[in-house]
Amino acid sequence: MSTSTGRGSSLATRLTRVGVADVPRAERLLADAALTAVDPDVVDHVVGDLADVGDPDAALLAIAKVAGAVRRDPTLSALLHDVLADDGHARRRLLAVTGASVAIGNTLAAHPGTLRVVADGTPGTGVPAADVRAELLRAVDADPDADVPVAGLAGVPGVDAMRRAYRTRLLRIAATDLTCGDPLSRLPGVGAALADLAAAALEASLALARADLDDHGRGVRLAVIGMGKAGGRELNYVSDVDVIYVAEPVDGTPEDAAMVTGARLAAGLARACSAPAGEPALWPVDAALRPEGKDGPLVRTLASHRAYYERWAKTWEFQALLKARPLAGDPELGRAYVATVNPLVWSAVQRENFVEDSQAMRRRVEAHVPRAEADRQLKLGVGGLRDVEFTVQLLQLVHGRADETIRSPSTLTALAALAAGGYVGREHAAQLAVCYRWMRMMEHRIQLHRLQRTHLVPTSDADLRRLARTMGLRVEGPEGLLERWRTTRRDVRRLHEELFYRPLLPATARLSTAEASLAPEAARARLAAIGYRDPAGAVRHIAALADGVSRRAAIQRQLLPVMLGWFADGADPDGGLLAFRRLSDQLGTTHWYLKLLRDSGTAAQRLAQVLSTSRYAADALRRSPESVRWLDDDAELAPRSAERLEAEADAVLRRAAEPVPAVTALRALRRRELARTAVADVLGVTTGVRASQSLTVTADAVLAGTLRVAESDARTAAGLDASPTRLLVVAMGRLGGREMAYSSDADVLFVHDPVPGADGKVAQDFAVAVATRVRQLLGSVGPEPTLSVDADLRPEGRNGPLARSFDAHVEYYQRWSSPWESQALLRARPVAGDHELGERFVALIDPLRYPAGGLDAATEREIRRIKARVEAERLPRGVDPSRHLKLGRGGISDVEWTAQLLQLQHAHAVPGLRTTSTLDALDAARDAGLLEEADTAVLREAWLLASRVRDANVLWTGRAEGAHADVLPHDRTALAGVARVLGHPSGSGAMLEETYLRSARRARVVVERVFYG
Amino acid sequence: MDRQQEFVLRTVEERDIRFIRLWFTDVLGMLKSVAVAPAELEQAFSEGIGFDGSAIEGLTRVYEADMIAKPDPSTFQILPWRGERHGTARMFCDLLTPDGQPSLADSRYVLKRALDRASDRGFTFYTHPEVEFYLFDAPADPSRPLVPVDQGGYFDHVPRGTAHDFRRAAITMLESMGISVEFSHHEAGPGQNEIDLRYADALTTADNIMTFRTVVKEVALEQGVFASFMPKPLADQPGSGMHTHLSLFEGDRNAFHEAGAPLELSKVARSFIAGLLTHAAEITAVTNQFVNSYKRLWGGAEAPSFICWGHNNRSALVRVPMYKPGKGNSSRVEYRAVDSATNPYLSFAVLLAAGLKGIEEGYELPEGADDDVWELTDAERKALGIEPLPTSLETAIEVMQRSELVAETLGEHVFDYFLRNKRQEWSEYRAQVTPYELQRFLPLI
Repeated sequence: MSTSTGRGSSLATRLTRVGVADVPRAERLLADAALTAVDPDVVDHVVGDLADVGDPDAALLAIAKVAGAVRRDPTLSALLHDVLADDGHARRRLLAVTGASVAIGNTLAAHPGTLRVVADGTPGTGVPAADVRAELLRAVDADPDADVPVAGLAGVPGVDAMRRAYRTRLLRIAATDLTCGDPLSRLPGVGAALADLAAAALEASLALARADLDDHGRGVRLAVIGMGKAGGRELNYVSDVDVIYVAEPVDGTPEDAAMVTGARLAAGLARACSAPAGEPALWPVDAALRPEGKDGPLVRTLASHRAYYERWAKTWEFQALLKARPLAGDPELGRAYVATVNPLVWSAVQRENFVEDSQAMRRRVEAHVPRAEADRQLKLGVGGLRDVEFTVQLLQLVHGRADETIRSPSTLTALAALAAGGYVGREHAAQLAVCYRWMRMMEHRIQLHRLQRTHLVPTSDADLRRLARTMGLRVEGPEGLLERWRTTRRDVRRLHEELFYRPLLPATARLSTAEASLAPEAARARLAAIGYRDPAGAVRHIAALADGVSRRAAIQRQLLPVMLGWFADGADPDGGLLAFRRLSDQLGTTHWYLKLLRDSGTAAQRLAQVLSTSRYAADALRRSPESVRWLDDDAELAPRSAERLEAEADAVLRRAAEPVPAVTALRALRRRELARTAVADVLGVTTGVRASQSLTVTADAVLAGTLRVAESDARTAAGLDASPTRLLVVAMGRLGGREMAYSSDADVLFVHDPVPGADGKVAQDFAVAVATRVRQLLGSVGPEPTLSVDADLRPEGRNGPLARSFDAHVEYYQRWSSPWESQALLRARPVAGDHELGERFVALIDPLRYPAGGLDAATEREIRRIKARVEAERLPRGVDPSRHLKLGRGGISDVEWTAQLLQLQHAHAVPGLRTTSTLDALDAARDAGLLEEADTAVLREAWLLASRVRDANVLWTGRAEGAHADVLPHDRTALAGVARVLGHPSGSGAMLEETYLRSARRARVVVERVFYG
Repeated sequence: MDRQQEFVLRTVEERDIRFIRLWFTDVLGMLKSVAVAPAELEQAFSEGIGFDGSAIEGLTRVYEADMIAKPDPSTFQILPWRGERHGTARMFCDLLTPDGQPSLADSRYVLKRALDRASDRGFTFYTHPEVEFYLFDAPADPSRPLVPVDQGGYFDHVPRGTAHDFRRAAITMLESMGISVEFSHHEAGPGQNEIDLRYADALTTADNIMTFRTVVKEVALEQGVFASFMPKPLADQPGSGMHTHLSLFEGDRNAFHEAGAPLELSKVARSFIAGLLTHAAEITAVTNQFVNSYKRLWGGAEAPSFICWGHNNRSALVRVPMYKPGKGNSSRVEYRAVDSATNPYLSFAVLLAAGLKGIEEGYELPEGADDDVWELTDAERKALGIEPLPTSLETAIEVMQRSELVAETLGEHVFDYFLRNKRQEWSEYRAQVTPYELQRFLPLI
């Protein structure tokens, strides 16, 4: 057995070495009688060259089949022999096409005459379009020089002749493509040749369609306009050919009649290309991009097109029209069409809603990839072919208005022109062009295999191996191919940012001369096109951040291009950029800030999202700069546990000697937790009930700590060694329910219980002093956020003493308590101070809030009456009741009163109702059969939505104080912003309004039934 | 500037138009008009005309007074009754909020939204209204008995009748404004007339109805009579309805037609009718929006008071007209409750929504009613499962406010405003002491 290489080794070894998978079959094929009859030396001629072909097995099979087909034809047999024996290119061409395409192999076997195409070395690319057109027209016996060519052949024979001519030329293109030394640089030529061939096929089909009509449709001039890749002269081997038909009556023909004829011609043309006939169909002719899409008439006059585009067309239609190019039919009419739509295309950027529309288009480009295909899609999805095309087209639309040099319909030409015009960096443009060519080549190779219209990367090993070999990655194999593809997609995404946003950096911030820097006018146009409302201001901020030679500026130059894109995705790009500049001014010199943004996968994007969505969170980030670090780490964004906060508060108090600094430190702790919650809320990490709980836990810890400080302070002030009374703070309202909002006050009761032997008056004074001090320490103006402590729910309200002893509470509740107080106590929860006193207090109030036997009819009536009065009186003047989140119809208070009434009525019997939480109470009522399942869902949804909108109001405006937080905004901008905070896509303001009003209306219906009975 | 707009500007100049009226409709269906001078027109096209919407029924909330009316140049028409020289023209407007979004309070937008929903399912909605109205001697003083212009009856030809001349003048004027008239005749009541507009897509029809009412009022003025679309102006005479024929098309094909099916009605049509019947009570406050509307609905004389359908049954709420062989595209159903005082945009929107709901949920069509349902006893109707329509505005409001269908169709804002306005109307009406009460009770008690 030989181990040497070359001709000395056995056939099997040689076959294996060149990549044959099924060696025994290959040996049989090489020994095939028909084949050896044509070329006795076939083994020596063929085997070596198989190393360079995609699928050597398929190539062998194909030539064996061809040999069988030419057996009885001496001329063709001789030709095949010459091809196989040829030392030059003919053999390589034959093996390359049959190794890359099963479909071409079959064509050769079915029509061995086409072997001539392989044998003669005329290139298939770089052929003048007119020659190709003439070739196909002659195939159907039409005169290429006629003004209106009409086919001499008709019906199926004509269609078949056209399709054969098409396939012959396709074979020539494929042969050139597959055997050229540098297929990547040949790619544009291949796309152009395919587009010219498609145009010629349309022309010949039109000639056939005319031949089918009695008068050859003389009454109408018809032009076929190419769109998409056909228009861009960058067609695939097999894809839908997108067209638009424009028709005009010839003088003397009525317009109606001409349009009818035009439609018949268009239909006939499409049939010639894609209806079943003797030869297989070419491709579908798709006219869906025409005005009104599939519902619109197939052909229209020029004036009708113009009228449509001027009045009705959407932004995406202009983007599509950018590619319009006459392909076939009346050339003068085709040129007139393009001349008509061109001005509209290049002024589309000034249309209302251009920004929104193009953002929506981008989302469509990125989304809508079926899950099963997500890993295999070449065309759609992030980093796909469509992504590249979209980027180039958007840049063309933005800058093409002022600059005619960048208006080419071809993606690669346009990209080069954009670079030449200084709109994108040359280096980046070149890189993107390589990515695009490479993916297009892959698409070509995939389609060639069976001449099938597909954009999916195959999955089987054999397919991937063939693909890798035809892509010139024989050594790297399938793994290498897929890896290269993944890298390419990533590069496309990165280059999109680089191309789109980097040129916005000032010229002084350029890293090299290969980078572009836009002139001010162009920079403003681009910023405006992506949604910046004050482009001039944005230009200034960008310059301030990126200018200079410092290391900071250098990192900013890396960061900014991407961040500018992310800000543009937010509700307030200008606000986001401004906040980013402020934050960077403040933190830029720290060692970690820019490094984190540069190195972290998520921090920069999240930062951009937060800054451009929420003024409150932006402000919180600026005031708690360390919080920027959390962006990188979901664990840091998660709410802190009560234990952890208590421990931290405890440590703060141990360190601090003086009351004011101690409480300032506690308030700082709360500021930090507000920031954490707000940031996590905007990012959608911690929302709704979890955010409320986070805010509650923080307030709890701060209250408990402040009580300790105030108590010790009061002791010092009174000159006491020990406190004369034990203190308790009871949380009420939303704090009691663990439902704090960003705008909530802390509602509390102060309770105390004198120690045995203490003087009652001294104890009372002491308790009041502590309570006063707590409110003062947390409410005084200072550098850290205040927490307003509100004790108005205490017995006798504002007329009563700020603190009351336990015994006084006992007495008060026995003598005076009213229904509303019992109701308020449903939310009571001891939050700070003496634990045992807390338990006793709960034992005291439980019989009041969970009254044995429920409510008597009179009390029930009284509660309903109070509620009705509150509705009429407490709503601020001028506020639409349906929009007030708290007191409005179906608002928070409606739901809470309903839950509380059920609690008062049934908590004595249903333990689950003994809760301070509104949602828990509703659930318990449902579980106990007191509330219908559907009603519970309606109330829950309304309460949650109203609470979230309330929080979103604060997050959007950045203001926690003021009446605005309780009202669904009227202002459209605010409404849109609030919707973004809630995680809806841009343009959802009206949807949010409708959703809220509906949810509240439904809740109100339930409240009227359940609460008012 | 597009070609339509240029056309308007050129026409304004060539025809020496001195004023252009920008028309829009408030939530109750009243036509509103802002006049602009030709010089302002260009700006009106590019930016719209700002106005204070707070004063207009249901358009805006007080604190959101700024509204923008943006004229639709395709609706440009010269108003024929304003004379040839120094003429006046009109355009319908879309209403926008200051940031350029469609106003949720715009009736026209409510209908557009409903039509969009239908078109998502592949349907276009066509309507064909038969508008009835009365002509009285002018001036029509509410404190004195109304005097009809003639004593004619159904299809009567009244020699040298005012009504005849009137209809001819009105139709000429309508046609000159591009509104095709199908049919016109004298109706059953004295001085009562009917003019049928040609079927068209629902938005065009609604625009046409708004124009129609104005034209009729103008022609009446010219001829020295008074025209009224009040649903029931005369207690002992038939009221003025607006029977509306409805059909859905899928492309060029009438979706209601199915050759060979019973009554040639497709499954789509049957479900559509079932939808109309199921939701008839909920939408009545919209189709019959005034206290006076219920006097027509419950005034007998073929008024459709009961929820049922029939084939050529002139007492049924929904009537399926006789099918004419070979006219598949004319298949339609007639909804007979709507009256001439309705807001056509809102009415068409809720009718469409009810029908579509029937199609989506696949409602089953109950048995048709063959008898004159007025002749049946209450017990018989009960046995047949035939429910009454609301008997008053109050009950209509009650049913409507529980309707998710109407809320979703009108949008929360219009829904809320409409209900508030109607409750107010009812409570004002209830506070009245009527001549009837005085005549009946004053002598007695």
